[in-house]
Amino acid sequence: MPAKPISLGSMHFAKRGDAVAYLKDMLHRYDVGDRVNANDAVILRAALEHHPNAAKKIGCGITDFSVRTADFGTKCFWVNRSDGTTEKFSITGSIHGS
Amino acid sequence: MSLVDLQSWLLREGIRDDLDVITRLTVRMEIDNLAADPAIPSVATIDWPRLLLAGSILARSEERTDQEAALRIATAVISLKDNQALKDAGAVLLGKLSNFRAIALATDRKLLSADLDARLGVALRLEAQRREMDRSILVQSSGTWLQVNDFQKRFWTNAAGERWLSASAPTASGKTFLVLQWLIDQVIAGETQVAVYLAPTRALVSEIETNLKDLLGKTEQVEVSSLPLSDKYKAARTGGSRVILVFTQERLHLLANVLGDAFLIDLLIVDEAHKIGDNQRGVILQDAVERATRANPRLKAVFISPATQNPEELLTDAPLGVQTVTVDSDTTTVLQNLIVATQVPRKSKLWNLTLRRQGSTLPIGILQLASTPEGLKKRLAFIAAAAGEKGGTLVYTNGAGEAEEVADLISQLVPKLECIDPELSQLAELARKGVHHDFRLAPLVESGVAFHYGNMPSLIRQEIERLFRSGKIRFLVCTSTLIEGVNLSCRTIVVRGPRKGKGHPMEPHDFWNLAGRAGRWGDEFQGNIICIDPEDTRAWPSGVPNRARYPIKRESDAVLEFGNGMLDYLSKRRLSDMSSLDDMDKYEQVSAYLLATFMRLGSISVAGLAKRHDKGLISKLDEALDALVAQIEIDVDLAARHPGVSAIGLQRLLEAFRAYAGDVENLLPAEVASNDSYDRFVTIMGRINEHLFPAFTPAGRIRLYALIVLKWLKGFSLAKIIRDSIEWHQEAGRSFRLPELIRGTMELVEQIARFKAPKYLSAYMDVLNLYLREIGRDDLVDEGLDVGTQLEFGISSKTLLSLMELGLSRMSAVSLYEKIARDDLSKEGCTAWIMERVGQFQAMDIPTIIIREVRDRLTLPSDLAT
Repeated sequence: MPAKPISLGSMHFAKRGDAVAYLKDMLHRYDVGDRVNANDAVILRAALEHHPNAAKKIGCGITDFSVRTADFGTKCFWVNRSDGTTEKFSITGSIHGS
Repeated sequence: MSLVDLQSWLLREGIRDDLDVITRLTVRMEIDNLAADPAIPSVATIDWPRLLLAGSILARSEERTDQEAALRIATAVISLKDNQALKDAGAVLLGKLSNFRAIALATDRKLLSADLDARLGVALRLEAQRREMDRSILVQSSGTWLQVNDFQKRFWTNAAGERWLSASAPTASGKTFLVLQWLIDQVIAGETQVAVYLAPTRALVSEIETNLKDLLGKTEQVEVSSLPLSDKYKAARTGGSRVILVFTQERLHLLANVLGDAFLIDLLIVDEAHKIGDNQRGVILQDAVERATRANPRLKAVFISPATQNPEELLTDAPLGVQTVTVDSDTTTVLQNLIVATQVPRKSKLWNLTLRRQGSTLPIGILQLASTPEGLKKRLAFIAAAAGEKGGTLVYTNGAGEAEEVADLISQLVPKLECIDPELSQLAELARKGVHHDFRLAPLVESGVAFHYGNMPSLIRQEIERLFRSGKIRFLVCTSTLIEGVNLSCRTIVVRGPRKGKGHPMEPHDFWNLAGRAGRWGDEFQGNIICIDPEDTRAWPSGVPNRARYPIKRESDAVLEFGNGMLDYLSKRRLSDMSSLDDMDKYEQVSAYLLATFMRLGSISVAGLAKRHDKGLISKLDEALDALVAQIEIDVDLAARHPGVSAIGLQRLLEAFRAYAGDVENLLPAEVASNDSYDRFVTIMGRINEHLFPAFTPAGRIRLYALIVLKWLKGFSLAKIIRDSIEWHQEAGRSFRLPELIRGTMELVEQIARFKAPKYLSAYMDVLNLYLREIGRDDLVDEGLDVGTQLEFGISSKTLLSLMELGLSRMSAVSLYEKIARDDLSKEGCTAWIMERVGQFQAMDIPTIIIREVRDRLTLPSDLAT
């Protein structure tokens, strides 16, 4: 299967796997409870727009992103919405659409 | 024959037989369910006039055994005889022992006809009156005369002036009552503007605070508070109401931190001062006393301890030029019967009771149990239920779980009450609503039985203690919390194989600190200590201990005596990796103290502790400390704000902040309302463990700790935290046992949210603020309420803080806060809210005891609150 390139904001990746690796690296730079900084948030916003359920995930609008605990002691990105609600989303889910 | 020889002969031979007879008879009066014993001699054989004469000779002795014999004679003649003249002579003998409360008790019980003075001859009356005058003190603030015993008189006389005083006396000596009277006198009639009463546990703090408020009544001259906030302090310093602050040592440090250079107290009273030797918190207490002394070299300090060997030890670090005085007493005010219970061979329901005295024993009789006591818990429960049926019975167990089970067993044996007393129902209601609907305490208190342990909410525990004192709770099953600083005495205490904390057999002085509570002076003539299975070495590895007084030794001195252990710890503490540190619980607090002292003085050889230790050790310690200090930039003032937290740890944390590559805002705790808050606490606790000190261990529990801290800060009630935990277990399909879950939650709140988290998070914030200023991010420094204070009290909203400032316990404050919509109310706003709705509180499902507390604290007319 040919590699599918993907762009996230100003970042271009030849393969989706590279984007996933990039985002995973980003995730690991944060501790749980951290607010994601503005530069990284641009990339995450773009990634979330790729999510198959993007409209639902984005909801009324994104304020910012956090890194928090996920199941089984792992961590993941969470989207914080302007109405105060929040929801986690997976990196692979956003990039690979599953 | 000298007087001393005569006294000794009397006990040895002169009245020995008669004394044995009256001892057996008086002790038998105390114990219920004894089998009839035809061999017990009758009182008719006693030569009372001779015995009373001997009593008056013995009363002149300072020896404890002589005084006890005199007290036994007086008690016996008053309770066993019906001859008025002999009873009067017994009362005169009590007067000679300055035991006026016992005379009052005998009169109350109708054992003695009223108006004793009128029946005495002129000479005796004059002598009695002179004695009463000698044994009275004038309370300046109220202008009243108070009748006191010898210890109380000496305390009052010696407490005058600027001297430092250390007073030691057994539990039932009327210490606390007198000290509180004296304290009030100093604040109302003396020069004292700000007084601090240090009590080593939160339980004792709330008890003392309540007592002081009751004694002060409605006076507006004096404020009493247990919150480490600056407003009342500042008012007192600027000529407003004077203030008595009742604190634990940690809270005194919190206040000193808030006040900074303005911190100055005039009078410091340290209660349960022997706890300066406690592992981990003793050195915090020592540091608190030293900090108050540094801030005010003219500070007046008074130390109080129960039956200690060396109360003068507490005075050795008084500032140069300050005079010191010790008031020591070993006088007994109530007879204490040490009784051992051994099973009659092959008869498990029959137990031989034997009185132990110095050098001899005396058979008392056979105790009959209602059922066969299979297993140790039943043995303890059944013997207590049988022997202490009259009530006022305290049962000692070795843990909270065991306390609940033993209380449950006792409740099945005690006669059912015909109707439940309203006060017991109200306590049951508070237990159900304030903890959990199925909290075991509730049905137990309805039958007059309760259990009591350290991590319970203070409002519930205080109510248990109050109802035990008043006699409505007849059996109280307790744990070692009781010897950790709760003023509670009883009529009978039942104990088998006591341990202190987790596992260690009790030292004799700890055992006697517990046993000393048998006997309520002024409420009873005698107290009984029943020790089960005295010959069983698993229960009593060194036998039932002989009477012993508590040796005072500062934690810092005890740890330094390990010598090389501390040197080794200091050298390992230099490494940034703390995984090789051993015995952290033993050394960390004291090493932090040494380090701060070194930073302040440049050498510990000039510190007070140096005079108590080998010079060689001190100079080696100086070298080790010097090597540590070389790595530290944190200044001594910052280190001094966090006693027990090592400056080297603070330094490592500062370095970690400097090395942090992320967004600096992520170093701050998130707002408690924010979705990030829980996870942020997880990360911060991990950071504290890695750089400052491994405080939140095991690491696998950090998430649980962070959750508790967050809920506590959010102002959740204990009941809600427990409900949430049950729901979580149910949703996750995890099994749980309710009593354990309830106890576990209480423990987490007390030990993590209210003890470790405030200590280490407030240090974390201080270092972080230093770093933020260093990098020019002053905008991120929050000048609001310190996180340590927020955590200690479980408050993050202004409304909750205001409610607690009004004097409410957290349980009451939270219970109201759950009904108050606004989170920004001032004290006045809260008062107005309460005034408007107080009539509907019952309909709002607020427990009666909480309504009562609200009414008392806000001094609302009672008709408003019903």
